[in-house]
Amino acid sequence: MEKSFSFLRTCFKIVNWSTLGAAFIMLFTSCEKLLVEEPKFMVVENFFNTASEVESAVNAIFVPLRGGNFTTYQTSLECQADFTYGRGSWAPLSEYKGLNDANISRVASLWNVFYLSIRNANLVIQNAPKGKSISKDDISKYIAEAKFMRAFNYFQLVRNWAGVPLRTEANMTEKDLKKSTVDEVYNLIVSDLKEAENALLDKPSQVGRPSKWAAKALLADVYLQLAKYAEARDKADEIIKSNKFSLVPVATKADFQTKVFGPELVSTTEEIFYFKYSRQLGQGNYMLWITNHPSTNLFNFGGAYVVYGQNTESFYRTWDDNDIRKALWEKVNIGLGPNTLISSKFADQKAVEQLGAGNDDPVYAYADVLLIYAEAASRVNNGPTPQAIEAINQVRRRGYGRNPTSVSPVDFVLSNYNADSFLDLVIRERGYEFIYLGKRWLDLKRTGKLKAIIQESKGISVVEKHLLWPIPVSELNFNKALDPAKDQNLGY
Amino acid sequence: MNKSHLFPKLFLTIMKITLQQLSICLVFCTFSYAHSAYSQFDLSKTVSLQMEKAEIKKVLSTIEKQVNVRFVYSSSNINTSQVVTINVNKKRLDQVLNELLLPLSVEYLVKENRIILRSNQEVGTIIPTPIVINSVNDPVVENNVSIDNTIKGTIIDENGEKLPGVSVMVKGTSRGITSNAKGEYSIAVTDDKAVLVFSYVGYERQEILVGNRTSLNVSLKVDNKSLSEVVVVGYGIVKRSDLTGSVSQVKSKELNVFPAANVLQALSGRAAGVQVTQNNGAPGAGVSVRIRGTNSIQGSNEPLYVVDGFPISGSNPTMLNNADIESIEILKDASATAIYGSRGANGVVLITTKQGKSGKTKVDFETSFSTQTLRKKLVLMNAQEYATFNNLQAVNDKLIPFFSQAQVDAFGEGFDWQNLVFQSAPMKTTSLNISGGNEKTQFSISGSFFGQDGIVKGSDYNRYSLRTNINHKVSEKFSVNLSNTITKLITGRKDSEGNSRGSSMISAAISAPPTFDPYNADGTYRVLAIAYPFVATDLVNPLNFINEQTNVINANRVLTNAALIYKPIREITVKISGGVENADDRTDNYTTRNYFLSIGRASVSTSQFISLLNENTISFDKTFKKIHSISALGGFTFQDFVSTSLSGSGNGFLSDVTETSGLSSATTPGIPSSSYSKSVLLSYLARVNYGLKDKYLATISVRRDGSSRYSDGNKWSYFPSAALAWRIANEGFMKNSKFISDLKLRASWGFTGSQAISPYATLNQLSTNRTVFNDALYTAFAPGTRLPGNLKWETTEQKDIGIDFAILNNRLLFTADYYIKNTRDLLNNVVLPASLGFTSTIQNIGEVQNNGIELGIDGHIFTGAFKWDLNANVSFNRNKVVKLTGGADILGGNVGGIIVINDVTNILREGQPIGMFWGYLEDGYTQEGKIKFQDLDGNGTINQNDKTYIGNPNPDFIYGINSIMSYKNFDLSVFIQGVQGNDLFNASAINNTIDIGFGVNMPKEVLTNHWTPTNINAKYPKISRNTNSRVSNRFIEDGSYLRLRNIQLAYNLPVVKWGIKWINSVQLYVSGQNLLTVTKYSWWDPEVNSKGGANSTSQGIDHNSYPTAKSFTAGLRTSF
Repeated sequence: MEKSFSFLRTCFKIVNWSTLGAAFIMLFTSCEKLLVEEPKFMVVENFFNTASEVESAVNAIFVPLRGGNFTTYQTSLECQADFTYGRGSWAPLSEYKGLNDANISRVASLWNVFYLSIRNANLVIQNAPKGKSISKDDISKYIAEAKFMRAFNYFQLVRNWAGVPLRTEANMTEKDLKKSTVDEVYNLIVSDLKEAENALLDKPSQVGRPSKWAAKALLADVYLQLAKYAEARDKADEIIKSNKFSLVPVATKADFQTKVFGPELVSTTEEIFYFKYSRQLGQGNYMLWITNHPSTNLFNFGGAYVVYGQNTESFYRTWDDNDIRKALWEKVNIGLGPNTLISSKFADQKAVEQLGAGNDDPVYAYADVLLIYAEAASRVNNGPTPQAIEAINQVRRRGYGRNPTSVSPVDFVLSNYNADSFLDLVIRERGYEFIYLGKRWLDLKRTGKLKAIIQESKGISVVEKHLLWPIPVSELNFNKALDPAKDQNLGY
Repeated sequence: MNKSHLFPKLFLTIMKITLQQLSICLVFCTFSYAHSAYSQFDLSKTVSLQMEKAEIKKVLSTIEKQVNVRFVYSSSNINTSQVVTINVNKKRLDQVLNELLLPLSVEYLVKENRIILRSNQEVGTIIPTPIVINSVNDPVVENNVSIDNTIKGTIIDENGEKLPGVSVMVKGTSRGITSNAKGEYSIAVTDDKAVLVFSYVGYERQEILVGNRTSLNVSLKVDNKSLSEVVVVGYGIVKRSDLTGSVSQVKSKELNVFPAANVLQALSGRAAGVQVTQNNGAPGAGVSVRIRGTNSIQGSNEPLYVVDGFPISGSNPTMLNNADIESIEILKDASATAIYGSRGANGVVLITTKQGKSGKTKVDFETSFSTQTLRKKLVLMNAQEYATFNNLQAVNDKLIPFFSQAQVDAFGEGFDWQNLVFQSAPMKTTSLNISGGNEKTQFSISGSFFGQDGIVKGSDYNRYSLRTNINHKVSEKFSVNLSNTITKLITGRKDSEGNSRGSSMISAAISAPPTFDPYNADGTYRVLAIAYPFVATDLVNPLNFINEQTNVINANRVLTNAALIYKPIREITVKISGGVENADDRTDNYTTRNYFLSIGRASVSTSQFISLLNENTISFDKTFKKIHSISALGGFTFQDFVSTSLSGSGNGFLSDVTETSGLSSATTPGIPSSSYSKSVLLSYLARVNYGLKDKYLATISVRRDGSSRYSDGNKWSYFPSAALAWRIANEGFMKNSKFISDLKLRASWGFTGSQAISPYATLNQLSTNRTVFNDALYTAFAPGTRLPGNLKWETTEQKDIGIDFAILNNRLLFTADYYIKNTRDLLNNVVLPASLGFTSTIQNIGEVQNNGIELGIDGHIFTGAFKWDLNANVSFNRNKVVKLTGGADILGGNVGGIIVINDVTNILREGQPIGMFWGYLEDGYTQEGKIKFQDLDGNGTINQNDKTYIGNPNPDFIYGINSIMSYKNFDLSVFIQGVQGNDLFNASAINNTIDIGFGVNMPKEVLTNHWTPTNINAKYPKISRNTNSRVSNRFIEDGSYLRLRNIQLAYNLPVVKWGIKWINSVQLYVSGQNLLTVTKYSWWDPEVNSKGGANSTSQGIDHNSYPTAKSFTAGLRTSF
């Protein structure tokens, strides 16, 4: 002990004090470098250089819509359908009196989701052209994907909130931005989709990325919404004529659950644009949790059964029992009386968690294209055409377990329908086909049939304010270009 | 504006130029001093003087020359211009001084080679009384009178330890000696009327009449209030009397009066200006501390914690056991904190651990046992009321009633879920400290255990710590010290909080339907979510959380600091220290297969934090020409902070046996994640303390900090401070005051900063995510939702004036401070419109001001056989947002996790206090029994324009009162602490009083006092699932409380009387914590802060927080 101390003592005697002073001066001057941050992550400013970097930025456009968010959107819409009811906090949606606080918060979070996705799209559109090691083709392809997704998001926003702030790559950093009109929003949607249609690939590198055909399908749907029926018909027809898609034949209810909507499918012949889900943690389809009841045993993580039907409704009662799709509406006792129906469309008994079911979300399937075509063609012609009848019949035949492309006894006959009754027929067929995809409410709203049909089926008159969702408080609070009184949607 | 900045700017420029040179100079100064040895001056030296009609100062200077001694005195106290005639030949100096100074009422004391003269009028005797310190063994004055009697004895301290070096004087004479190493003394007195005066620095002076005794043993008591007591300040210590800044001290005795997991809990109510709030009642839960209000919005408002000189990370110093702490100093004003520069804006808490003292080895052992129970149960509906309530809702919402009348009647009381979830839980503390040493080496080693079980089953907090402090003198000039703390913390958490409708543990405890018990007939857990069709799917049976989920945090903490101290000469100290703070945490989460719908879920996450510190300081301490005392400090420090993390998870396990140890066997492995961050802080610091004649004190300090976290060009900043103090009590005109024993005025000014942002906040970071194409995962890169900005330091300018005042020989001490703190370039998270995609950004947005008054009083009311010490403090702080960029409001603090309301609760607005609650005012009910809100802008609809201030989370004042009474062997201490005038936002009540229709249980009064057409002024609206709720004044409650935080009765075993020599003291005590709380707050507990301490905009929110316990404790404190 003492020895080591005496050693220390000696050491200190040896220390030349002036070298210590010099060391001090060295410290003063050389430390500055230590203050430079050297993060171990990537920053926006140095990104978007290679094709893979840009591709990963494109992937980020999809992320906000996942994790149950798009499902929540679809469910919010579905609770407002004429043949469904929301349960628990979703119940006020089925009362048509305007949104209450819980649902206002919920749709506000959807607003954030769509705009976050739009921001990520804008980042790609703005930055991809500056890339140093990326080909022109890749740039245009990725920008096309981004524009497709931007249009997709605005299409959801404009239908539910009407006019909204229109954020593009040009104004993405302007904090205060006034609302654009509905027309301005649609103009952007259409121009984005036209560009996407041209630049997207016929067959993208992975299923789930938008293809040329996805752009055409979305564009057809947008034209239908805008009552540009000829354009809608032609876009849908291009897809049909391409012969790249066909309905998957089914024979039983189980076929629907496995071959059409099944959790283990990677893709099908009828897939045009689906949100892809996988049995991975946090990467599955949330709709299974939303729709199922623990007693159905269709989903191994129970369920919230927030949307249900009633077998007393005319929609269900008038549905032909031979239609296999009707069998997917199952009677389940969830304590809400003996007439309760819950759809068994989505089933996965091998999910890995609540948000871990493998079933994809069929945002645009071939049936959409066929039914858009049928409606649009009939609208243009002021009555159904043979091609329109064939299109709807393909969907119907498959629903009945028949070969979709062969004439069958269940076919609708052209001469039985005029323009109005054919429209009703298509809308009804869409109802059968698209349960739980959030399309019914928007169909009713688009066709102006909403108030009458809700009145007829539920005996409720829809309050005008219920037709639009409120602009979120978070937007009105912080976007100074908006006037909370004037820019809020009516009634909120 | 510009003008007021001119001085600091100029000052900064000068400092910039001079600081570096100064530091270097200080280093070289070291060598210019000759090495001279010091020893006690010998008063037996003789002098020869023949002087006629000479001024005394002339005489003194002649003596100085003859015997090479220095006289130190203040000519304003001592009339040295008086003329004397003296004629002595080879006479002893002490005798000469007696003759010379006797008529002047001047006493003298020898300090090394100086003789300090001071006026002796206070003592009231005309005979000088030399007090000798730092002189061991040698009797300094030999008496020259006849010896009639010799008194012998031993002097011990309170703990029975022998005290060497105590001065023993015969009152009224010059005779005096000091006790030897064994504490023994022997002194001659002339008669039995002699009075012996025993004095020793840091101990109470005692005067004892000798009488006819020949032996007299004395026990000296520690003088806690001694003005000569030292106080720890940044990079040094200072005598309390020399303080120029505002510093509060809390001693170990107060910190250990009741068992607490966190030393900060023990700090609550102890010091003026310090507000301590427990975030919730969970074992090991965080504690937030506010010193002089809230300065920062973005940054933490928690003070900087410095443990034995090491600035530690994080906001709670959990690595230390309370028993290891010697004292805590709280630096409050800028003069005290500016030496910590960019980290000082929120105040600095200096924690000093126990050091060994030379002398007999001492063993201290303490242990206690407590029983904790839920402090207050909420009065909820019973089963029958629950059924009635839900039927009422069904009827009101035009649904079929859920229960038949027969069912309702059959329910009765039902099941009490609060009794199931909250239990009575033990808390144990044990600590053993061994300390001692010799002249060269002192050590203190302690081991301790703290174990607390939570009142929620399965929650606990255990701390094992081992601490060592060693000081060693290598030589006269070199010494080394090492302090080392190793701690293991094991926390089992059952504190899932917040959320709504029973989806968190705490929420489930009150939300679960009383109509059910937790089990099905087959013994499985009842699934509450599907128990009734109206029950929210979120509602989880609390047993799932309690029995089937584990969340265990294993934390290892190491804090090591070593220093080499070199004193080339007495005045200069060079200190080079290096330290490491290391924190390794591992969190294991497991959800068993028995949990509702679980296939087994495991995750393990680890984080590693390491901070290296190097400090190099040089300090200088000298008194020039007897009147100028200067102590200066200069230094350079480097500290870095590196954090890394790694986590993995998996879902789907065949068996629960593997728990978190078999991630690789998961059916679905999660994606692993890892992170890295580093920041660096470089600093130069300097401080000068100057004292003039012990009356005028000044302190100037400056620190220059450079941080890697800020944008280029904004990395460096200066933090200067200055302070003045005037010890009026030392002025001549005050000398004679019998009433006032001390009086000091202080004033200070300075700048401090806040490291309000995390590393890389100025960079537009891309974060990783995943999406699926085909059936596979693809990586996605996108920025987060926070838009980065160009940022600079947030600085706080603080001015303080204070007064320290003591009367009746320090029997009552009084301290008052007034301060103003202005924080500029305030960094804040600015919320952006959601349509931007970025939802927030950080900007330097404005300025806030805090100002306030702190009062502290410390009294020794009775000092006799019945002793009563009482101290109290109260602080008033007002804060205000002075300026925001563009005058725009900043909204913050979303309630979060509550489905029915998704809105902000707080606002920052110019002219208003920070964090005002912002919402709607209610205006009774509509004709349908719905809540009516005031339409403030009168436009006919209720929207954001109708929001206003609905409450203020900032208290009017906070206070603490501590009373310690002792009589014979009994001590009774009572500690009361409170907060007055703050509002709380009771977010828990949103779901459990207004969110109707989801089968959530509610307080009984929701059923008994709701709107009906005949009860339109009810507390609650009509029972309907369509209740409209907003952030409104309904949820604002008065959060004031007065709490009997501790009451303790202790009995000290009379070990001395029993003649037990090997024990110094044994104390047995019983105490109770939180036995009484006076408050109007309706929920669990008013001391709550759900959003945590670091946050500033969302203070005062209670959102399903783990409730606070009350406890009874029995314990033993003993010393050998």
